[in-house]
Amino acid sequence: MEVMSWLSRLNPRGPGTRTGRHAAPTSPCTADPETCLMVFENHWRQVSRVLKQRESSVGGYADDLTAVRNHTDQMLCLLAEERPAGGDIDSPVGPILKMVVAENILDELVQWHVRRGLDPDSQLELLKLFEMLIGQSHQPLLLHSAVLQPLLNLLGACVDPQLGSPPALESSLVLLLNQVCVCMAKETAVLELIFRCGLVQQGPTNLLIFSLLVPFIHRDGSLGQQARDALLLVMATSASNHSVARHIAENSYFCPVLATGLSALYSSLPRKIEVRGDDWHALRREDWMAVSSLVLFMNSLEFCNAVVQVAHPLVRCQLLDYLHNGFLVPVMGPALHKSSVDEMIASTAYLDLFLRSITETSLLKTFLRFILLHRHDNDTILDTLLTRISSNSRLCMVSLSLFKTLLSLNCEDLMLQLVLRYLLPCTHVMLSQRRAVRETDLYGKSADKFLSLIPECCRITPAPSSERDDEPAFWGKGKPVSDTFMDNSPTSESPVHPRPSTPSRLALFIRQQSSGGQAIPPSSGSENAPSSPRGSVSSPLSPDSPVHQLPDTSEGETGYLEYLRDARKGIELCSWACRDWSAPYDGENPSPNSAPPPPPPPTSHPSLNMVQEHFSIMDRPQQRGCLESESQRLSPVPALTETSTVPCDSRGPESVERLIEELLERAPSEPLTGDSKCQGISIEAFHQELRELEERVRERRVLSRSSEESSREYRTAPTPSLTDEDCLPVEIEQRSSETKPESYATGVFSPARPLGPPLAQPYTGPFITVLFSKLESMMQNSLYVNILLTGVVFQLACYPQPLLRSFLLNTNMVFQPSVKSLIQVLGSVKNRIEAFAATHEDFPAMLRKARRFLVARGKLDWSDSPIGVPTLRRSDSLIKSRKPSLGDLILRHTNSPTRARHAAQLALAHVRDGGQSLHSALFRGGAAGGASGLEKQAEALRVKNAVYCAVIFSEFLKELAALAQEHSVALPFPPSQGAEE
Amino acid sequence: MVERSDGEEQGGPGEQRSSPAHPPFGKKQLPSIPKNAVPITKAASPASSTESANGTHASYGPFYLEYSLLAEFTLVIKQRLPGIYVQPSYRSTLMWFGVIFIRHGLYQDGVFKFTVYIPDNFPDGDCPRVIFDTPVFHPLVDSVSGELDVRRAFTKWRRNHNHIWQVLMYARTIFYKINTMDPLNPEAVVLYDKDFQLFKSKVVDSVKLCNSHLFDQPKIDDPFAISFSPWNPAVHEEAKDKMFAYKRLHSDPLLTAPHNQRWAEDYNKGPLVSGLSWVKPGSTQPFSKEDIPLQT
Repeated sequence: MEVMSWLSRLNPRGPGTRTGRHAAPTSPCTADPETCLMVFENHWRQVSRVLKQRESSVGGYADDLTAVRNHTDQMLCLLAEERPAGGDIDSPVGPILKMVVAENILDELVQWHVRRGLDPDSQLELLKLFEMLIGQSHQPLLLHSAVLQPLLNLLGACVDPQLGSPPALESSLVLLLNQVCVCMAKETAVLELIFRCGLVQQGPTNLLIFSLLVPFIHRDGSLGQQARDALLLVMATSASNHSVARHIAENSYFCPVLATGLSALYSSLPRKIEVRGDDWHALRREDWMAVSSLVLFMNSLEFCNAVVQVAHPLVRCQLLDYLHNGFLVPVMGPALHKSSVDEMIASTAYLDLFLRSITETSLLKTFLRFILLHRHDNDTILDTLLTRISSNSRLCMVSLSLFKTLLSLNCEDLMLQLVLRYLLPCTHVMLSQRRAVRETDLYGKSADKFLSLIPECCRITPAPSSERDDEPAFWGKGKPVSDTFMDNSPTSESPVHPRPSTPSRLALFIRQQSSGGQAIPPSSGSENAPSSPRGSVSSPLSPDSPVHQLPDTSEGETGYLEYLRDARKGIELCSWACRDWSAPYDGENPSPNSAPPPPPPPTSHPSLNMVQEHFSIMDRPQQRGCLESESQRLSPVPALTETSTVPCDSRGPESVERLIEELLERAPSEPLTGDSKCQGISIEAFHQELRELEERVRERRVLSRSSEESSREYRTAPTPSLTDEDCLPVEIEQRSSETKPESYATGVFSPARPLGPPLAQPYTGPFITVLFSKLESMMQNSLYVNILLTGVVFQLACYPQPLLRSFLLNTNMVFQPSVKSLIQVLGSVKNRIEAFAATHEDFPAMLRKARRFLVARGKLDWSDSPIGVPTLRRSDSLIKSRKPSLGDLILRHTNSPTRARHAAQLALAHVRDGGQSLHSALFRGGAAGGASGLEKQAEALRVKNAVYCAVIFSEFLKELAALAQEHSVALPFPPSQGAEE
Repeated sequence: MVERSDGEEQGGPGEQRSSPAHPPFGKKQLPSIPKNAVPITKAASPASSTESANGTHASYGPFYLEYSLLAEFTLVIKQRLPGIYVQPSYRSTLMWFGVIFIRHGLYQDGVFKFTVYIPDNFPDGDCPRVIFDTPVFHPLVDSVSGELDVRRAFTKWRRNHNHIWQVLMYARTIFYKINTMDPLNPEAVVLYDKDFQLFKSKVVDSVKLCNSHLFDQPKIDDPFAISFSPWNPAVHEEAKDKMFAYKRLHSDPLLTAPHNQRWAEDYNKGPLVSGLSWVKPGSTQPFSKEDIPLQT
């Protein structure tokens, strides 16, 4: 049948595909308006005959229906194709539309249908007809209530607002609504009209178009997308219409549905993230695109973000409230506090992903407020998340990744809670030093200090055989770097360069590097150089300087220059982003005296109870190693657990049971953290672990009895301080002015020792504490943990606030004796690395190999498109800003798309699999089987971690040195205009 | 420093002079590296020699000098010295070009170009030298070399205490507050004490002379040397408008600093969240600020 084929062409295809339809050769429509009107009138005459004939009769005949349909199709098609009348400016309404309005044709049609009872088939066709009409009309039909009213009637007849629409109608309905909303967006008056019609028809509680769409908010597929698009159009259109906004906020379920829908979707997310690589630490786009439930969630979250962006403030505020109280607090909060490690990992990674995906400031604020202020079981979310950095498992990596995201927000409130409030009182520095907080490292003393901490044993060239020089650092070596220099030398400088190019810094390097021997006069420098300096005063310092234009060296080696460049970028980005902060945090403003005392160190970390030791394979073997006593003393993490498990011991054996259960549950399936994976888990090892675990929990119960009596008062953060003073008997501790050198041999951990220094003890906060303690155990950390960890510290050290900068980077500052400084922590790591190297004669060879592997690994991804970490719409640049230090060269791998990941893993397969762990390929001594093999494996793992640590550590020091230098030449940014007003 | 400053001004950049241990500036600068030369990384430059004694990280020495000077320059910018503009040379960060605008007093309307020479063992060496392009008639300025007597103000250069911006400030102050003790230009002092009117007219002549050389090519051939050109609306009008527009909006000259403008350009475009802060000024409580008036 002719009509059916016409209709079938109208099948919803989405708005995008229908533009071409205008050109379709529809018979009478191309004719002149008068003819069209005549045809239309003709159809209408016939239809109205039917309508009037059967007015009284109920039901009617099929013939009638078919006839009416046929004519209606033709009529609406004519109406849709009609152009607005050209001549009449006041009412540019075409003759057909004029007639439709005058005789209320559409209303009569719909009334007729409704009266005779709408069967689903007719409903569907009418919906489609209206959709076609509205989608294709050349005139703003919906401005006429003669069109709008019948449409609303039809919708009212099709859909029970309470029960929703019949499934068969859904797609047509949503498409129609979508079209209506598109019209509404074009003609804002339509919204007002709909709103008023709605008031008349459905009573004040119903903005029908809108409430019909709401149920589709969380739908997947194109249907959901169309509905969300349509809703978004309503939001945008109503942004300036207070009464509509109020109606939405007060009378519709939009916000609650949106927020609680998120909760529902969240609960269907995987509780456990199947992890592929040992370096996995964050959800990237390609990770979650494959998980349909996560895609669904992200769609809805994105929609929330969009609504927040466009909606009227009333709606936005309500939505944010609902998100906080209906999603974050009741769902995210508990999810983050789940007791199983898997769930913690998953929820942390989700939170990280959400934070990275949100672009709207006020939505971000809602999340941050939740993280910073909401208390779950007495702890803020932030505190809970913090403590997990100290865990051993992948949870640490995921948590570090989350904090990296948080730091990249450059949010004052966050930084205040995280670090600054602890530094504000300035109690961490000696009184006489307070003024020094603002000082910058003018002459590179701090940088020098950092560089001096590079262990002697790490100052080896990557390929000593071919090269004779004992050049210690990476920078300035080899051809690529010199090429780099050349590219920026005046010689190659284009004279028509649009900007003042400022190669002075590089010029100096060239000069100084060559001044030893050659003194070649500039052949062309003067003739080719820009003739006049167009830059203003500060341009030589401008970051446009060629250092920023250095092409990436193709060699894996990274130069100090690049670290400088990274540091500069990081600092600039950060100070730019912090320019509207409320205060400079320079030790004077806010005043140290007015600052409220920061919270004291926690007495325990209840949330850590169970997390800590699930996978301590990495730690335990060390105790058997040659550095046994040392490593035991040095690894703060087990010690931390020792103190922090106190509260849970009251639960006695059950907790052991639970632990074991959890372990058993996990053991076969979960790939452990990188290193443990390498060695594979033998049942034997597992049993051994269980035995040890049981043992320890029992021990602790005994210990806790004794300590419980003396505890319940306050104590310092248990973690970092364990290395020196804190571990010493209390008498020594009281002579706190006496700085203790790292005397690891002395002092045995005594759980029964009186706890807690006096209240006034300066405390730099849990974040610094946990980061430093993790840094201190760098030797035991896995490679990936160290990469992430140093990345977080780097980012923290980019902050320009003098309080923070001086605390981390000013090596000349004198702190209170009880305050551990970064340089102290690094110093202890240096000593350990050197001690380790001294006991391993093949250390240089291992180091070289490790370096080579890292570089090779990084290079695999080097060519890859810089897609960056999980696709961030907002902070792409933020993330990219932390760019290739060697660490990043390595990390790049983890950031890259799956393809590259596979390539890399393939490349390393021979060292990873086949019974050969990475270390055994790297280092001599293969892994034997059996019980003794286990010990060897453990030792080898320890060696591997230590060697990688040495590489990362050295590079990290260069990063810090570069940061110290760049801070001294950084210019502040004035507040933006918006903030001034 | 013993070298005469005029020596180096005459030497062309390509000229290689056999020089004592510390050659004058402008000579050892800018040897461009031949294409295949491997940079000598065991930097044998004098700059690093002070650092290199103790350890292997001494190879970072060049960075220290470079950054010390950049840091000094940053300080200059932060000081916002009135009427003083400086710009490090393209060839060497040890040489800065500058100009002082005198806005009132005896030397009113004087525009004095000068060059600052920083010793290459900075900050452990002597104080920087300041040499006016045209010897200004002034008790403290050598009438031949144009060198300003800096050392009277900085007898001993003390790192951490003395900074280059202070030298610049001093170079400005001398035009407002005349000091006649131990002059470099005795004639000026004699006139100042004996015949102030003549002194004044000499000063006026000197100012005129300096200003008449304003549009001369810079004495030192360097892309970043400060050069003046006559007002040309096609070239300058736009830049001037921009500067004044900024100035009307903000009193803070940092706003016009290129780094700020560049960032404003780069980042105000995108939706990048910048400066998240809900802390009320004066408070240290998170989220203490009232909600920002909602934008439409």
